[in-house]
Amino acid sequence: MIIAGIDCGAKNTKSVILRDGKIIGKGMTLTGFDQASAVKESLDAALKDAGIDAKDVDKISGTGAGMEEIKDASMKVNEIRAMAKAANYFFPSARTVTDVGAEMGRAVKIDERGKAIDFAINEKCAAGAGAFIEAMARAIEVELEEMGPMALQSDKSIPMNAQCAIFAESEVVGLIHAKTVKEDISKAIHDAMASRIVSMIRRIGVNEDIVMIGGVALNPGFVGCLKRELGIDRVYIPADPAFGAAVGAAVVLKEEA
Amino acid sequence: MIEKFREWYENRHEYQKGYKDRTGNKIVGYFCTYTPEEIFYAADILPVRILGSHEPQDVTEPHIFSMFCPFCRDVLAQGIKGRYDYLDGIAIGQSCLHLRQAFTSWDLHKNPGWSYFLPMPNHVQSKRAVPFLVEEYRLLIKKIEELAGRRITDDDLRQGIDIMNKARQVMKEIYEFRKEDNPPISGTEAMYMTCAQFFTDAREFLPVAEDVKRELASRRLDRDPGKRIMLVGSENDDIEYINMIETLGERESVGCTVVVEEHCTTTRYFWDEVDTNIDDPLRAIAERYVSRTPCPSKDWPQRTRLQRILELAKDFRVDGAIVIQQKFCDPHEADIPFIRKFLEDNGIPTYFLEFDVTVAAGPFAIRTEAFLETLEAEEDLF
Amino acid sequence: MAKYTTEPLRCWAKAKELRKRFYEDFKGAHEKGGIRCVGSAWALDAVTMGLGRDVYWVTGEPYGASCAFDRPLSADFLAAAENFGFSRDLCSYMRNYWGSIIVNKSAFGGAFPKADFAYTQHICCSHGKWYQNACELEAGDVPLYVIDVGVGAYPPFQPEMYEHRLRYVADQILDSIEWMEKITGRTYNDELFFEACWNDIRVTHIWAKICMLNRTVPAPLDEKSIYSLYVFATLQKSRGQFAEFYEELLEEVEDRVKRGIAAVANEQARVMTDTQPPWGFLKIYRYLETCGVVSIGSLYTFGLEGMWLYDEEKNDLRPRPMPPEKPRSREEACMMLADWHLSKPQYQHFYHPEYKTKMMDAIAKNWRCDGIILHYNRGCEGLSVGIAENRLGLLQRGNKVLTYEGNMGDETEFDLPATETRFDIFLESLGLKKPEG
Repeated sequence: MIIAGIDCGAKNTKSVILRDGKIIGKGMTLTGFDQASAVKESLDAALKDAGIDAKDVDKISGTGAGMEEIKDASMKVNEIRAMAKAANYFFPSARTVTDVGAEMGRAVKIDERGKAIDFAINEKCAAGAGAFIEAMARAIEVELEEMGPMALQSDKSIPMNAQCAIFAESEVVGLIHAKTVKEDISKAIHDAMASRIVSMIRRIGVNEDIVMIGGVALNPGFVGCLKRELGIDRVYIPADPAFGAAVGAAVVLKEEA
Repeated sequence: MIEKFREWYENRHEYQKGYKDRTGNKIVGYFCTYTPEEIFYAADILPVRILGSHEPQDVTEPHIFSMFCPFCRDVLAQGIKGRYDYLDGIAIGQSCLHLRQAFTSWDLHKNPGWSYFLPMPNHVQSKRAVPFLVEEYRLLIKKIEELAGRRITDDDLRQGIDIMNKARQVMKEIYEFRKEDNPPISGTEAMYMTCAQFFTDAREFLPVAEDVKRELASRRLDRDPGKRIMLVGSENDDIEYINMIETLGERESVGCTVVVEEHCTTTRYFWDEVDTNIDDPLRAIAERYVSRTPCPSKDWPQRTRLQRILELAKDFRVDGAIVIQQKFCDPHEADIPFIRKFLEDNGIPTYFLEFDVTVAAGPFAIRTEAFLETLEAEEDLF
Repeated sequence: MAKYTTEPLRCWAKAKELRKRFYEDFKGAHEKGGIRCVGSAWALDAVTMGLGRDVYWVTGEPYGASCAFDRPLSADFLAAAENFGFSRDLCSYMRNYWGSIIVNKSAFGGAFPKADFAYTQHICCSHGKWYQNACELEAGDVPLYVIDVGVGAYPPFQPEMYEHRLRYVADQILDSIEWMEKITGRTYNDELFFEACWNDIRVTHIWAKICMLNRTVPAPLDEKSIYSLYVFATLQKSRGQFAEFYEELLEEVEDRVKRGIAAVANEQARVMTDTQPPWGFLKIYRYLETCGVVSIGSLYTFGLEGMWLYDEEKNDLRPRPMPPEKPRSREEACMMLADWHLSKPQYQHFYHPEYKTKMMDAIAKNWRCDGIILHYNRGCEGLSVGIAENRLGLLQRGNKVLTYEGNMGDETEFDLPATETRFDIFLESLGLKKPEG
């Protein structure tokens, strides 16, 4: 059975194709204003990557902020359920999963079957999401992809404002004027963000093994800061973590069928 | 001159742990200045105030809804992080809702084996408050006696009163020096002193403070005092901020000295003494806590703080007041528009800053500097 | 084919009429030489009734909620308060109230009617400040009396309600009677006071009995409707008409229980909530109902004014029995009122969140709730104090708990779509699905 999972997120729309439970193709596109187009474009890219046609797909599962726009989906899966199932799919030993995307951070406590037991969402504050890193990268004039590796080169701990991303930005300006090196600033930014995510994880309890999905999991600086804050040695990140929720949605549909 | 106080402030845990080893006495951590320290001293128990560490933290979100002030969360974080595991007890005198959550969460998750919530009355302007508080003190004493393992006598209470009063007196005498044209002690230094009071045995604090008082008589600071500033606030031990604005003069064209404060880390904490003319020591203590400059949460139906703030402003000849509010502090927020208007109507310009656990040094420097410059401009008119 | 039969409440029209008349009485009080009084819904309004049969009230919290219903009007009030210098994180009822005075507009039309005096109580750290500021905004010539009720928890949460604690509250009440005589020039009538005191006790006792009936499956009342009914106890506990109304309502709900009438025809699951709802968005309750979920109430609707006692052994919450007889002396009435009100369930968490966790768990278990929805209400520190520990405690006791952030009186802090998404997730965990379309 071939199932497509589509995650129409705030910034990017991600599609995956699973054949009998194995990932055979992936595609991603910017969501932009026209969500329906983004859904089609991303699915087409995934189909191409898998080397199959649209008619080969048996069913489609949808998730994400824009899932109402995934018209052909026979099932709409909420993001919490998708995350939980994704973590279990990739790492059956997972008991906590986080998904930090462009605008939202989430943490879910799961059981051995990938069922969500408790969850926390951080949707009111940009300082706990990818948009924060992007804004800060602009502020210190560093390419987004370089932010993470730069942070790893610093061993300083400069505390940044506890409450708000907006204030944090003016603090960064202050650090620049104080001639702080970019590596240290990048680390401070990552520490601040990791702190918010850790705060959220603590609401549901820190139970290993911990899995991270979502685009921000690709940022080694963030991952490093998170591990240190939680005091754990290892977090588990699947290849292409941005596709995590899409995979989860597909697996949920497969299990229902 | 204030190195010892700075050491006590920065190494409070070393002092407090060492104190236990040295004296064999117990230590109770308290959360609000309405906790009657006199009674703990009477039982040979050291009362220490728990302040935050000004570090961002991620451990309190499961326990306190983040719309409550950063201070109470910072305080709870100290407990959760295990920094106060040596305490024998915790206590709070009821005032604001925010801080009592640090107490109750601590009671739930880090209970040291003894904890006490004192329903400190809020209607301090009523004649009924003192008799009520005296009875509450009797209940508290019963519990303290359990912790201390002995009875507390009236003489013990008188001793506790004496210990606290002496520390209060020396602080007020030191504050007198800040009335001078070029105060020989800066706001930063004064803040280290008043905070060190929280973390030490007042009897060990006293002789060091007396030395400072003697030294101040002939001390001269080699700096331009700049504008005379008063801080009006909720709970603030933002030494970093005070130091930054007091050194502005070294970098910019305007500078200032913080000559007095009206908040619960300084004058609201120590200014009012226990009246030893009152025979019954328990009633004397109750009178003191009921009639001291109130926390805004207890300052109704009359807003008595206004007169107190103005008095301090006049006595210390301030050029301007910076209202430093702890973010989300409801009692203070309810008062602020009226405080500002009252001060301004009385010829004292004000500026408002909202504080969090860490200080946004850059933006605050710019804004404070701009405020100081407006004070300059006013003088130029004449 | 609906699962249960449902019927609208017969007393609905009367409820609306009573409420309308209540506000009209206040507005028109001066025309008949009467007195206008304002204060918190928790104020001991019964005491003011000793001044005569022409004392009329408006309480601040229901007024704030009424402002919040009208979102554009509320936005004006909130803006006015903010421009005056009041911070946005202050209680949103207060901000609506102060804003209303500042722009001199009433939520019920016309100018904001000025009170003759303010009479309130203080337990949350803003209560006294609310009316202090309101009176000051009214050109400072509205006298204010505040009674401090922050004396400690009631048994079983504390071993006893000590005599000196009751005395402290009762003595303040006695002092306030002298004060009222002075500022109104009227002679106090103790008989009227006793009558009002008894009305207060009846209203808050009967309300609890009504809430008990929601233990039934299917629930005869849904929380959105309950908001329109519990409100009378918040408008004025001591008003005789409201005591009568509650007696009628009790009879009607008992009848509904007998005949198996449900509030929600397709009741499949039951939840309870906590804190005030986002008043401008009560449709979220209808949203839950479309999925077959009825909210049976909350410690808030049950115990904000309703009087209950917690049974530690049985983990149960039951209506507090009324005192055996009416008070016969001023002193006795003051002590009776003090004792009665200090047992209020929504006073207890001010001393420790554990007390509230126990009562909420008792409701969840005895009212057969499948889940608990906590409104992390930025608009009210008083009812949100300790809420995070309530959540942990309730989870520990085996309950399913959902939280959502919002504000009872400030629409800018409530995100409807995000909240509905959370509800969807929660409902799914309860094994329920959203209806198609």
